[in-house]
Amino acid sequence: MATISNNNIARAIYLSSKDKTGQEQEVVIKNVINFLVRRKLISRSKDILASLKAIIYQEQRVVEVKVWSKEKISEENKKDLIQILKKRYGDKKFILQENLDDKLLGGLKIEINNESIDLTLRNKINKLQEYLIKNHE
Amino acid sequence: MSNHIVENLKHEIENFTAQLKVEKVGRVLEVFDGIAKISGLSDIRSSEMVTFPGNEVGVVLNLEEDSVGVIILGDYSNIKEGDEVKATGKILEVPVSNDIVGRVINAIGEPIDGKGVIKFEKTYPIEKVAPGVITRLSVSEPVATGIKVIDTIIPIGRGQRELIIGDRQTGKTAIVIDTILNQKGQNMICVYVSIGQKDSKLRKLQARLEEGGAMDYTVIVSAGASESAALSYIAPYTGVSIAEYFMDQGKDVLIIYDDLSKHAVAYREISLLLRRPPGREAYPGDVFYLHSRLLERACRRNQEYGGGSITALPIVETQAGDVSAYIPTNVISITDGQIFLETDLFYKGIRPAVNVGLSVSRVGSSAQIKAMKKVAGTLKLDLAQFRELEAFAQFGSDLDETTKKQLERGKRAVEILKQPQYSPMKTEYQVVVLYALTKGLMDDIPVEKIKEFEQGLIDYSERHAKTFYQDILKTKMWSDKGEEELKKVIIDFKNSFIVNA
Repeated sequence: MATISNNNIARAIYLSSKDKTGQEQEVVIKNVINFLVRRKLISRSKDILASLKAIIYQEQRVVEVKVWSKEKISEENKKDLIQILKKRYGDKKFILQENLDDKLLGGLKIEINNESIDLTLRNKINKLQEYLIKNHE
Repeated sequence: MSNHIVENLKHEIENFTAQLKVEKVGRVLEVFDGIAKISGLSDIRSSEMVTFPGNEVGVVLNLEEDSVGVIILGDYSNIKEGDEVKATGKILEVPVSNDIVGRVINAIGEPIDGKGVIKFEKTYPIEKVAPGVITRLSVSEPVATGIKVIDTIIPIGRGQRELIIGDRQTGKTAIVIDTILNQKGQNMICVYVSIGQKDSKLRKLQARLEEGGAMDYTVIVSAGASESAALSYIAPYTGVSIAEYFMDQGKDVLIIYDDLSKHAVAYREISLLLRRPPGREAYPGDVFYLHSRLLERACRRNQEYGGGSITALPIVETQAGDVSAYIPTNVISITDGQIFLETDLFYKGIRPAVNVGLSVSRVGSSAQIKAMKKVAGTLKLDLAQFRELEAFAQFGSDLDETTKKQLERGKRAVEILKQPQYSPMKTEYQVVVLYALTKGLMDDIPVEKIKEFEQGLIDYSERHAKTFYQDILKTKMWSDKGEEELKKVIIDFKNSFIVNA
């Protein structure tokens, strides 16, 4: 028998729990766990959850945005950032996940849907280094 | 002075604008044995190049539902879980230029001979679809290998693919070295691709080529035994891309893959690590395509499409003479013929140890010059008859005159086709020697004196049969006058040779 992919399981869970009330959902969750135990898939639950999260986000037009910066971003900047993201990715709900990293020196690094925009000082310095080495080899 | 440097640097920095762009990224899930599993990297293509931190390069081979399998070209010891991987949007490419000739490079085009950086003009993708039907021309120009048995019986034409197959230690590499050495002044660029070979062997080969002045037109691409399987896997494609670069300039190129059995083994390793299902001898299902798409890129293009040719000489090593193993049969069916080397012949002293009965060249005969075709035709027959009779002759001694004659002729033919290493022979000399043999003019020379006679005849005829040589050089065939002259010269020489002996 072909193995069922995490994505398939996650999609099945999503579809069966969609538009259900609290009590019905509890039953669904119980069934899901029973299913996973019976098929010996419980070890994959972490990956299945990640897939489920991705599916829910996609269905609800939510986009997770990871942001790295040296210092905490001010509320004003956040609003600007979301405006810019809306222009590029359409009218969706953006969830900012902020990370602090001293090594970036300054600027922002944004990762969204497997796309990354590196606007940090660190990156610019690295690029400059590459450029200077290449030109003076 | 230092002020000047500072000014210069300032200027450079002012001019520099960091190009910032949106990049497709993924993260390393796991790394092992030169393979990385990566999450993310949506919209990536197969065999696209990716970069790891520290500028290590990888190539995407497996596209799975929520991860991609990547082979890492280079050092993978610094890559760890969670590292960011960037897509480049490019299929793997190698840098090429005319300066590459005479150099030794690795599978990704970096020089490894310590002679400094190579200035590259452009890059060529390593995977390319082979030239189509309308761009091609059939084989008609010879590749002179300088090896008598090959040039006469198993001739190779420009644009042909001729397999060299045999057990270990039967002189496979020796044949290709001689062939490269003989390309001097023949308007040919040679690319030698070494796959999974000992570095000491490669060094020896390079020294030998340098000594013979062959590095002036040769490029060596090396993926050594100590490097990862990924590099062995891409090395032949790198080689053929370099060959294509020269072919695109209308040049004739000779490419040697030494050897494709190690290439298949490297690909098997990668495939198994990527969890592709194993097939016969544990090779993956697409191992045939692996070699066919490589060898199909050898071709001869017509003038409309720029001319030029790539002649491929793949080498395959057999185990205990077993040509019916998976890889040998595959490559035999892809190529336009094979040169079959045998251990038994090698130890009998017949070197090059070519088994004339099993070796064929399916298209090469149309590339032979007319004079060679004429003498080679009878030689082939002589040898075939000799092999048949040799077995019979062992039973009894009462043989009739014709049989005896044929046996004697065969013995001399075998003797003539022996040739020491590093002593390629010009086509016109080959014609003279074989003419003497096939016309029966050597039948009264003792077998052990044949070599001596051959050398003497070449020297003598060059001085006394000028018309014949001129005929061959000009018209590729002898005239009646030239033939008369040569016949007389051979008889004259033979008389003096017998008297002296």
